[in-house]
Amino acid sequence: MALSADERDELRSTARALLQRESSAAQVRAVVGADPGFDRGLWDQMVELGWTSIHVPERFGGAGCGYGDLAVVLHELGRAITPSPFLASAVLASSALAFAANEALALELLTPIVNGEVVGSVALANTDGSCDRSRATTAWSTKAGRVRLDGASGFVLDADVAGTLVVVARGADGATALVAVDPSTPGVRLDRTSLVDETRRAFTVSFDGVEVGDDRLLCDPGQAGDDLFDRLLAVGAIAVGCDAAGAAERTLDQATAYAKDRQQFGKPIGSFQAVKHLCANMAVAVESSRVATVAAAEALDADADGWSRAASVTASFVGPACAEACAIGLRVHGGIGFTWEHDSHLYLKRVKLDEVLFGTPSWHRRRLAETVFPTLIAS
Amino acid sequence: MPEPGGTIDELRSGVRAWAEQHVPKDWREEQRGVSHEDSVAFLRWWGGQLREAGLLAPHWPKAWGGGFSIPEQVVIAEELARAGAPRNALFHVAVYNVAPAILHSASAEQQQRYLSGMLAGETWCQGFSEPNAGSDLASLQTRALRDGDDYVVNGQKVWTSWARESRWCMALVRTDPEASKHKGISCLVIDMESPGIEVRPIRQAWGPSDFCELFFDEVRVPVGNRIGDENNGWAVAQGTLAAERAITILDMTERLRRRGIGAAVDQAASFQLEDGSKAIDDPAVREMLAECFAESEVLRHLLNGMIDDIVRGADVSGTSSIIKIFYSELLHKLTRQFTDVLGARGQLDGPVLASAGWETDFWMNDYIHSFGWLIGGGTSEIMRNVIGERMLGLPR
Repeated sequence: MALSADERDELRSTARALLQRESSAAQVRAVVGADPGFDRGLWDQMVELGWTSIHVPERFGGAGCGYGDLAVVLHELGRAITPSPFLASAVLASSALAFAANEALALELLTPIVNGEVVGSVALANTDGSCDRSRATTAWSTKAGRVRLDGASGFVLDADVAGTLVVVARGADGATALVAVDPSTPGVRLDRTSLVDETRRAFTVSFDGVEVGDDRLLCDPGQAGDDLFDRLLAVGAIAVGCDAAGAAERTLDQATAYAKDRQQFGKPIGSFQAVKHLCANMAVAVESSRVATVAAAEALDADADGWSRAASVTASFVGPACAEACAIGLRVHGGIGFTWEHDSHLYLKRVKLDEVLFGTPSWHRRRLAETVFPTLIAS
Repeated sequence: MPEPGGTIDELRSGVRAWAEQHVPKDWREEQRGVSHEDSVAFLRWWGGQLREAGLLAPHWPKAWGGGFSIPEQVVIAEELARAGAPRNALFHVAVYNVAPAILHSASAEQQQRYLSGMLAGETWCQGFSEPNAGSDLASLQTRALRDGDDYVVNGQKVWTSWARESRWCMALVRTDPEASKHKGISCLVIDMESPGIEVRPIRQAWGPSDFCELFFDEVRVPVGNRIGDENNGWAVAQGTLAAERAITILDMTERLRRRGIGAAVDQAASFQLEDGSKAIDDPAVREMLAECFAESEVLRHLLNGMIDDIVRGADVSGTSSIIKIFYSELLHKLTRQFTDVLGARGQLDGPVLASAGWETDFWMNDYIHSFGWLIGGGTSEIMRNVIGERMLGLPR
C-alpha cells in the first residue's frame, strides 16, 4: 500500500538528513575517485532504512509500497547527487524481477537484492546507448534447454559490483528476451565507460557465447519480453526524471542563496531582474519537473496503462527542463560556477546523463507522437 | 441537470449528456465572422444555457446555486472542453473575477444585489489597469472624492474587457492620495448606465474589439456600492481566489490540447510540405507537436498539484504564477511554431471566431492572439518577479 502524504514527508526528511550528513558534495567528490566509486557504509544504511524494499511486493521480501513512494528517495538521491547502485539495483534489477512472469526466478534472485546481499543491474541499452529494443546489440539463441548470449550491451550501470545482471537480448526472429546472468560466468567481459558525470559508473558488457539455463529467462521471449522491456524502460526514464528533478531543485536552492548573498554594484545580484528572472525560470522548471515525475511514478502504481504515456511525457520534458535549470544555476554563480572546485558542474553533469540514459528526449517525443497523435485526431 | 455531491462518474456522465444535448453542433461555423453584436448575443444565449443547467458558476457556494467541490469543478471544465463548447467568455469576468471578491469582502446585502443580478444575466467588467498603471497597478490615479452619500469618480481605465456590454464595473479608485500607494485605494461597483461614463472600444491586434477604454467624468457612485472598507480596495482585489484562476487555466489547458494541439495534428496530417510529404511525417514537426503535448500534460500536473494545495489550504501564490507563465508560453510556442510549419498558408486570414477563446483556426491570428496571454493578467515578467520575490525570497 502506498504511503500517506505525511509518511512520504517523513521519508523525505529522513532521507534528506541522512544524505546531508553522509553525502555532501565533498563526500561525493571523495568517493568517486576510487573503486568501488560509492560509499559502502552509506549503501548499507540505505538498505537498512528499507529504501531498496519500498516498491517491491511483500512476497519477495519488500515493503509493498509504490513507485510514488520510491520517487521520494530518488528525488533526494538526486538532490545529493549520491553515487550508489540504487538506480541499477533497487530500481532497475528489482523492477525487472518483480515484473517477471518467472516467479521462481524472482523468488530466488529478488530477495537478496532487496536485502542488499547482492547488487543487481540491468543491461538494457545498446552499445551506442540507444534504448530501442529492435536494435538490441546483444543476441540470444537457445539450444537444448540452454540460452546463449552473444554481443554486447552498453551503459550498464554498476556492472562491476553486480552479482545479478538482467540482460536484454534480441533473437534471430526479433523476439526480445530478458535473461538473468551472473556476471562472473565465463564469457562475460566488462569494460569501463568513461563518463563526464563521475557520480555514475557505466560499463560495456560483452557476451561471448555465454550460456545459462533457460530457467534464467524472466519471461517468455516475444510479446512478454517486449512488454517487460517497455515497462522497465518506463521505470528507468521516470527514475532518472526524479533524480534530475532533485538535482535541479538543489541547484535552484544554491543559486538562489548565492543571488541573495553575492553583492555587485552595491546590491545583492538577486535584486537585478536579469538574475531574478533566471532564478524564476529555474523555479518554473523545477516545480513542473517535480509534479511531472511524481505523477509519472504514481502512474506506474496505477492499474491502468497510463504509465507508458507518463514515462514518455517525463522523458520528453523533465530532462531538458532540469538540464536547463542546472545550466542557469551554473551561470548565476558567474566565474566561480565555471571552476572545478565549485559544485555547479557536478549537478549539471549528473542531469545531462539523466536526460539521455533511458533514451533521448527526442526519441521519446517521437514515441509519444506514435501513441498520442491518433487519440488526438480521434477526439 | 448535473448536481453536486454525487459520484464523480455520475457527474461526468451527467455533464457529458447535457453537453451533447445543448452544445450546438455547428456553432463554430455559424459564429465565424459574425458582427460583434451577434457574437455577444450568442455568448449571452450560451451563458443562459449554462445558467439554466446550474453550470454558470459551479464554484459558488451552494446557497448561490453552486456548491460543486473543486474536483467536481475540474470534471465540469473537462467535459465542457471535451464537448467543444463555446467559452463562457462574456460572463467570465463576473463569475470568476468579480464574484469571488464579492463573496470574500462584500456585505450580505451587496452579495444579494450583485450575485442575484449575475444569475439574472447581468454582465460585468473590471476597471483595474490605467494608461499609467499597468504592471504597476497600485499607482492607479482614477480619483474618487466623497460628496455626501456619493463618491465622484474622475479618471480613465484601459484594457477593460466587455465594457460596452457590461451593466456593472468593479473598479479600483484612489480615495486617499496622501496614503502610500497600496493603502489609498478603494473598490467601487460602478453602474455602467451612470451619466459621465464614456466607453471606447479598442481594436486588438488580432482583430476583434472586445476590450475598451473607459472614461469617468464626474460619475456619481453611491457609497453603498463600495466593496469592503474605504482604502482597503487593494486587499479586496486580491480576494479573487486562486481556485478560480486554477479552474480557468484548467479549462484553457483542456481547450489548448483539443482545439490547439489536436487541431494542429489534424491539419498536419493533410498539409503537404514543399517536397510533397505530409507535415505529420516530418520528424521536426512530430517532435514539436509531441513536445507541446508533453508540456500540456505537465501543465495538467501543475494544475492538479495547485488544486490539491488549495484543498489543503496551502499558499499557492508562487504556483499560480508558474502556471500563468507555463500556459501562456505553451500557447505562444504552439501557435508560433505551427504557423511556421504551414509556411505561407499559415499567413491566411479569414473570418474570426470571436466566441471560442483564442482559437480562430487561422494560425497567424492565433499567434497574435497569444500575446494577450503573455501580457494580460500580469505579464510574464511581472510573474517572474512574483516567483523571484515571493517564492524564492530574492530582494526587490
